[in-house]
Amino acid sequence: MNALEASQETPLPVVRVEGVCKSFGGIQALNDVTFDVPAGSIFSLIGPNGAGKTTLLNLVTGSFPADSGQVVFGETMLNGRKAHERVALGIARTFQNIELFGSMSVLENVLVGQHVKTRCGFLGAMARLPRTIGEEREARNRALELLDFVGLLDSASQRSTDLPFGWQRFLEIARALATGPRILLLDEPASGLNAVETASLAELLEKIRKSGVTLLLVEHDMNLVMKVSDRVLVLNHGMKLAEGSPCEVQANEAVIAAYLGRDKAGPGC
Amino acid sequence: MRYLFFIAAVLAAGFLISSPYKLQLLTFIGINTLLALGLNMLMGYAGQISLGHAAFYGLGAYTSGILTAHYHWSPWLGLAAAVVLAVAAAFFIALPLLQLSGFYLGMGTLGFGMIMFVVFRQMSLTGGDSGLVGIPGLSIGPLSLDSPRNYLFFVWAVAIISIFLCERLINSRIGRALRAIHDSERAASSMGIDTGKLKVHIFVLSAMLAAVAGFLYAHLVSFISPSSFDFLVSVRMVTMVVIGGMASVWGSLLGAAVLTILPESLTVFSEYEMIVYGLVLIVIMILLPQGLFRGVLDIYERAGSKPGNASSRCQG
Ligand SMILES: Nc1ncnc2c1ncn2[C@@H]1O[C@H](COP(=O)(O)OP(=O)(O)OP(=O)(O)O)[C@@H](O)[C@H]1O
Ligand SMILES: [Mg+2]
Repeated sequence: MNALEASQETPLPVVRVEGVCKSFGGIQALNDVTFDVPAGSIFSLIGPNGAGKTTLLNLVTGSFPADSGQVVFGETMLNGRKAHERVALGIARTFQNIELFGSMSVLENVLVGQHVKTRCGFLGAMARLPRTIGEEREARNRALELLDFVGLLDSASQRSTDLPFGWQRFLEIARALATGPRILLLDEPASGLNAVETASLAELLEKIRKSGVTLLLVEHDMNLVMKVSDRVLVLNHGMKLAEGSPCEVQANEAVIAAYLGRDKAGPGC
Repeated sequence: MRYLFFIAAVLAAGFLISSPYKLQLLTFIGINTLLALGLNMLMGYAGQISLGHAAFYGLGAYTSGILTAHYHWSPWLGLAAAVVLAVAAAFFIALPLLQLSGFYLGMGTLGFGMIMFVVFRQMSLTGGDSGLVGIPGLSIGPLSLDSPRNYLFFVWAVAIISIFLCERLINSRIGRALRAIHDSERAASSMGIDTGKLKVHIFVLSAMLAAVAGFLYAHLVSFISPSSFDFLVSVRMVTMVVIGGMASVWGSLLGAAVLTILPESLTVFSEYEMIVYGLVLIVIMILLPQGLFRGVLDIYERAGSKPGNASSRCQG
């Protein structure tokens, strides 16, 4: 059996993390973590505070380099590639502490998201040729579509940081989707949301997955995680504690002891 | 529309005013507008400070000045050389400097400004402290720009075109990316923006505008000396931007006007210029961080929307 046939049987994972380690000064934030994010899945990363979840996202997006190990995106080795190059490849993210562009409107935030999807440079902007105008119009339409997708169309012209907190999280998702990603990394998207907003977030995540984007989700809200995830990885002190389906993880003794506690433990499968 | 009004205002001023002194003052406002505009692109939009921008102003003035006065080049070739040199210098220093941020970037550009000031003073080509004389005037084909009125029109044509192009730039993909860097560099790079490269490019653009302003200045006054490009001038440029309002293309015009007219009308001003700029910067940053222009407008609007006033601008 040749390699091509093998890859047809099991599609390549979107992201493959292999033995990554990262320390900050004396703190070992990640210690030899390995996993695959299957294409088209919702893959969740959970674990106690300081477990290294955000650090792991930062290594995938290229905010800083790993000490050792590698991250592969499809068939592309990501080591050495800068953060902005990875966006162009198809990796988008949101931030644990919302980072919107506060001087801009909701619509403009999503327009910035289309930076890699548009071409116009300094001279093009000054000359404002028909091509530039056309590109700008398309970008605007696409931005409005995305705002509609996350349910923020009515707020398009508001200043982004004037939105209610929960809506700001949805805007960050729309902005990240605007980059046209194959995988979207979400860092605690439900934190600070009320129950209604969390429910619509769950719906939105399903919709995003259906549109063909793989999701890597970091989240503390266990109801949400267990409801939407295909696969869950548990980190503890920078090390992989367990990995499996939501119910496998919920029934795992080590996970219950280190993170979930008895009350959130599941019945197993 | 705004541009038509503006062009009409310049034409009216040019034809109604006959005093050569006043015409020249207006011309200086135009030149300073270019300086403030360029620096505003860097400071106001991209959020990067430069305390050494007078260096590029001087580079433009001296390059064209030397080539025309000593080597009898055509001023237009002098302009081309000035722009090329400013762009090259800006690239050269931006690459290491823009790795820095905030305070350190301020220090780095300050150092660059000082080095260039020493170069202007020490080189024999520049005429050292006693300055460079005999810089010729400009002419476009058969049309001489020697008369104060013609020079005024020329400078303002350049200024208006520059404002027009910068405004287009700001309202484009590039302008949004610049503002994104200002708001959050981390988020900007998570949108795929090459923040390092863009910061270099906007630095170069702003150096280019300063060099063009230097060219216009040199061929207007025909004599230049290092003191026109010292640290005080860099600070004056920053003050113009702050008075006019960061991230405000038209505010640059206002800042330039205020800081051109004020030192001329108040002679005592010149002795305390540095102190006044310091105070102005502190006061505006604290009280009217949007700049004088927006700040006063805001106060006016707030006064207009007191309870009971029908024209309230509160949003539902
Ligand atoms: N840039 C940094 N510099 C220094 N230490 C860091 C940095 N980023 C993370 N750390 C440390 O690495 C460890 C892992 O942090 P990380 O933010 O990845 O945790 P987390 O799992 O996202 O936690 P939380 O659930 O609280 O967000 C922590 O001890 C943290 O203090
Ligand atoms: Mg975190």
